[in-house]
This record gives sequence, C-alpha cells and structure tokens, in this order.
Amino acid sequence: MFDKFKPMWGKRPQLKKSYDAVIIGGGLHGLATAYFLATRHGITDVAIIEKNYIGFGGAGRNTAIVRANQRTQENVPLYKEALDLWPVLTKELDYNLMFNNCGNLNLMHSEAAMKAARMTIASAQFQGVESHLIDSKEAKDLVPALNISRDITFPIHGAMFHPPGGVVRHDAVVWGLAEGAAKNGVQIHQQTAATAINVKKGKITGVETDRGKIKTNRVLVAAGGYSASIISEMLGIRLPISVLNIQAMVTQPLKPLLNHVVSSGAYHCYANQTLKGEIATGAHMDPWPNYTTLTTAYYIKHQAEALSQFLPCLKGVKMMRHWSGLADMTPDMAPIMDGNDQVEGLFIDCGWGYFGFKSCTSTGKYFAQFMADGEYPEILKPFTLRRFEQHKLMGETAALVNYSADN
Amino acid sequence: MALTISCPICGKRNGYEFRYGGEDKGPKPAEKDLTPEKWVDYVHMNNCVAGVQKEWWFHRDGCGSWFTIHRDTVTNLEVEQEEDHEKA
Repeated sequence: MFDKFKPMWGKRPQLKKSYDAVIIGGGLHGLATAYFLATRHGITDVAIIEKNYIGFGGAGRNTAIVRANQRTQENVPLYKEALDLWPVLTKELDYNLMFNNCGNLNLMHSEAAMKAARMTIASAQFQGVESHLIDSKEAKDLVPALNISRDITFPIHGAMFHPPGGVVRHDAVVWGLAEGAAKNGVQIHQQTAATAINVKKGKITGVETDRGKIKTNRVLVAAGGYSASIISEMLGIRLPISVLNIQAMVTQPLKPLLNHVVSSGAYHCYANQTLKGEIATGAHMDPWPNYTTLTTAYYIKHQAEALSQFLPCLKGVKMMRHWSGLADMTPDMAPIMDGNDQVEGLFIDCGWGYFGFKSCTSTGKYFAQFMADGEYPEILKPFTLRRFEQHKLMGETAALVNYSADN
Repeated sequence: MALTISCPICGKRNGYEFRYGGEDKGPKPAEKDLTPEKWVDYVHMNNCVAGVQKEWWFHRDGCGSWFTIHRDTVTNLEVEQEEDHEKA
C-alpha cells in the first residue's frame, strides 16, 4: 500500500535546454493543448511548466459543470465542440472521465429573464445545441425537490433546459490528459515556475524558469488566473482582465435527490449532486481583485439562504468543505485567445472567468492547430485581444454585471 | 479572509460596504490626439499585480467617498504606503 509514489505521467523528467514548444501552466488548457499537439500534429517535444502541481488551479477547483448554452454565435460552437469531445476523449485516453450528461436546468425568475432565455435558446438551437424553454411545472417534473410556490423571494417562472450538459469528473480529466500527453512524449515539469519570457526583435526566444533556461520559439501562456499577471509583468502587455475569487462548497452526503445541474441567476447559485451524494454548490464572487483563494463565511450564508428557498429540503443540511479559486474576468465575459500578434511565437489563452473547465477540450484542440501551423483558426479569431480597441466586445452577458470596475 | 477597508471619513469598515473602483490609472487621457489604443489602455487594461497595488474604492453603503488605498492582492490586506510604487 505504501509503495513509492509513481505518477501516471511518468517520473520527473530532466529539464532540457530547448523545446519545440513551451506551455506555461499545467492546467486543463495547457494539458489539452499539449495532448493535441502531440497526438494530432506530431509535435512531441513539448514542455509543460507548472509552478505548483498539475490541476492545482481552476482545473481542480471548479464545480465540474459542463454545458454549451452560451449566449453568442461565436461562443456556442466552441462550447458545443468541447461538450462533444468528452465521450471521444474518454475512449481515446482509455480513462473514465465520468461524463454524466444529466442536463442543466437554468431557473428563470421573471418574465424579463424568460425573454432573455428565449434568445439564448434560439441561438443554441440555431447552432444545433439542444435547449428548450420549459415552465415551472415541467421544471418541477424534472426536479421534484424544486419549490415552485409563489412565496419565495424570487418565484420560479420557468427554466432553460439544456439536456446535453452535465458534469465531468475534473481530476480525471487532469490525470487522463496528463497521462495521454506524457505517453506521447510531452514532458510535464511540476514545481517549476516560469520567471521570465525572453523576446528578441519581436520574437519569442525562450523561457527562464527557477530550474534553468529553456530555448524555444513558441510559448503558450495558459496559467489561468495568473496569466494576466505573468503577461503584464514579463512582457509588459496589459490585458483587460480582473482576477477575482470564486467560492464553492459541498454539503454532507445525502440520498440522491438532484439528477440535474440546477442553477439560478437571480439567486446567484448553482448546484449539482455528486456521485458521493454531496450537493456541490457555487456562489457569486467577491467583486474585488485578489489572489488569495481564501473563503468567507459570507458565502456559506448566501448559499444556505438561496438553496433553502428553491430547494427547501436542504434546510438544515450542513456544509462540509469550502474552497475557492481564481476567475480572470474580462469586461465582455468572453476569453482572450490570441497568438503571433503582439510577439511572434507568443500564444495567449486566458480571460476564461469561470468557463475554463467546460471549454478546455476544444480550446486545446484549436490552440494545438494554431501553434502547429501558425494560422489563426477561424473559430478563435473573434476572441482576439484587439477586439477591445476595435470596440467589438462580445455580448456574453445579457445584462451588465458588477464583477469588476469595468462596468 | 474577510476584507476591511479604511475609509478616510468612516475609518476601518467591512469590505462588503465598499465597491471596488479599479486600479489607479492616473488622470483620464487628454481628448486631443487620443487614439483607440490609448483609450482602451485607460478604460480596460489592467496590470493585474499579484502583490501591492494602488486602487480606488467607493464607500457605497456609507459616506459615499471615493478614495485610494494600497492593498496586497495576495493577502487581501491593506498596506500602509506613502509613495506610489506603480510605474505609470
């Protein structure tokens, strides 16, 4: 039982002097990109540089929810492909990612919200994503524990039901992709921090780490919440990002009562029941930038108030664990995916906010393609950093939110 | 960890009483010869410092003052600082 620890992604490799490509950040976006680089494009001389351990950041802190019911025509196809890739990767990696497409139920609490949902649903259906508007009775049929009475703060008018969404075991994705990438020659360097990115005459020449210098002409920054600070500090490129803390928690395990992901914008609350029986629930975030990943009692109270209103059977249930992760928010709630623009050989994949988990598979696929042939894939083009100076912000939010000072 | 903020009028108060007003970016750029790059830099771009930064706050549920403080974004604690540490 107490044999020597042997990670599935091989022993700790020696850091080489040069690589074809270096990826900063051993999260899901970095691992997926490395996996696709190695398996689809034959680029196996790749190093993943991770300051902590793989899956330390958002990859292991999200609430495991996946869905493709985004709001704009640029975003929906990307998330749809990400959703379609879970069963494909499960087979290909020969690793059980525990994809449970139980469906997402997004509660609407006013006629205005129902109108906004109609537009989101029309966009989804236009892009071939299954999504329907249902009334409160139909929602109650799907989730019998739901309180559809009029005597709560925000009575339920109806819901947006998105059957192909669900939950994926996030640690399994980290381990599966790491194993798959390592098998194909990718080197994963944990406990290795990037300290500088070298640029000469507008081209990437290497990455400096606390374990030595690396020569390379391609760098992907996919460091989640730390991407913006790395890019600004090491390259002097400022990004339209505010890094906030988002908190999540689980209750004690209960008998099965929730077989869908339930979320509510008005209550700022989303919940799903894990296979262990815990209700995993997430909250809003503290609207000021910070990198603490600390938790506050404020949100336990907030979750308890919200959950006990629309799922009253949870009254009195205890919260068991509570954690937090970083969300790098952009003003338009859409990511920044760019490359070969500000610096030749620099690829930027950040600004995901709290959508980084559900998008990692398709993003990895397209970034691998981008890094392999240098051609900006059509599907990524709308996410250019230049959209902000061109005043082409995306309409991912139905209404402005006060997540950052930008709005 | 809960955040506390020192308002120049009301003193040290719970952070949830305040609204964050953004990184201190200096004065608004002059409208003469203003380019989209300069404007977007002022409006949207941030340094995202993992460390001490100078920033604006608004005492929303209090006296309504706007003021700046220095705060360490890694510990979420206010930092006493007389001079500015930013480059711009």
